[in-house]
Amino acid sequence: MSNREDRLRSLLDKVRAKRPEERTTHAADALERMRTASGTTAAAVAPSSPPLPPAAQPTPVPSAFPTQAAPQSFSEPQTSQRLESPTRYSSQPPRVERPLSVEPRTPSVRPISATPSVPSPAPTTRRPESIRPQSVAPTGQPVVYATDPPEFPRPKTFGDLLELTLSLRPR
Amino acid sequence: MHDGRFDPSGFYEFNLTGGTVRTRAGERVVMLSEGVLSALVEAAARDGDLTPLRRLGELLGEQVLSGLDRPASVLSAEAVLGHTSAVTALFGWGRLAFERWGPALVIALRDKPELDEDELGAAALLGGMFSEISQRQVSCVPTGDSKFIMVDFEVAETVWGWYKDGADLPAIVGMLESKRAS
Repeated sequence: MSNREDRLRSLLDKVRAKRPEERTTHAADALERMRTASGTTAAAVAPSSPPLPPAAQPTPVPSAFPTQAAPQSFSEPQTSQRLESPTRYSSQPPRVERPLSVEPRTPSVRPISATPSVPSPAPTTRRPESIRPQSVAPTGQPVVYATDPPEFPRPKTFGDLLELTLSLRPR
Repeated sequence: MHDGRFDPSGFYEFNLTGGTVRTRAGERVVMLSEGVLSALVEAAARDGDLTPLRRLGELLGEQVLSGLDRPASVLSAEAVLGHTSAVTALFGWGRLAFERWGPALVIALRDKPELDEDELGAAALLGGMFSEISQRQVSCVPTGDSKFIMVDFEVAETVWGWYKDGADLPAIVGMLESKRAS
């Protein structure tokens, strides 16, 4: 207790030495209030002291900040884990699915080492024949066959209706 | 200006000084009340001479032809109907429509003046009008309900006899057959 009072007093002396014209400073006022109120400076330093006014509470915050922040900023294990993860993945070759667009359409262009000697499993991994590009290839028919307009009956003119009705005779 | 649509503007020319009314084709027309016209038509039907009404129909047909840019026989039925119904309405003869009953072309004339009980006056008017429009001799025979079947004048008397015997329009059409199909 007395050590803290001594340190505060020495600090007050230093301030007075720098600025001798100021006989009353905020530190001196605080020191005087601590003396007259409780007779000890422990209540002003301890963060859980209830009798201190709210204006004195910012004081312990700087002293507590470095004691809590230092261990987290320098010994965080998660940072090293994140840096190690790309290395760990790069040590193993990634399993990449073969894209459908570059899938060989004929067995001759497939790599021999990747194709098993037994042909039975191959159809299970291949795309269905119905959606292969070969199924929608042009058949060689001339396109003009599909673009010919269909023949619709010509709409009847008034003359057509007249000819029809004037051709009516009793059965 | 034959754009396919009938232009009714300026169809009648009223000359108040001279006391005349003319169509834009120059035909002089006379305004008659329905009651007076009905008495005249009744008398003509009793005498068996509906020639004046057929002549009136021909005049209406001439008005229709003056509004067409091509012969009616090459135009669509809708185009001919548009002009014909417009002229018919301008002369106060009601609403004209076409109906097809199988091979038969039927003219419907709604809201026409009440002239005679058998509708022979309207039949004569329509016969004259469509003969002028088609440039052929056609007959429009009454079949009831303000409908008239258009037939060749050679079979008009036979069809009229069927109607007088009680046959309705579907029955009349069923008793006719196309000469081209037989």
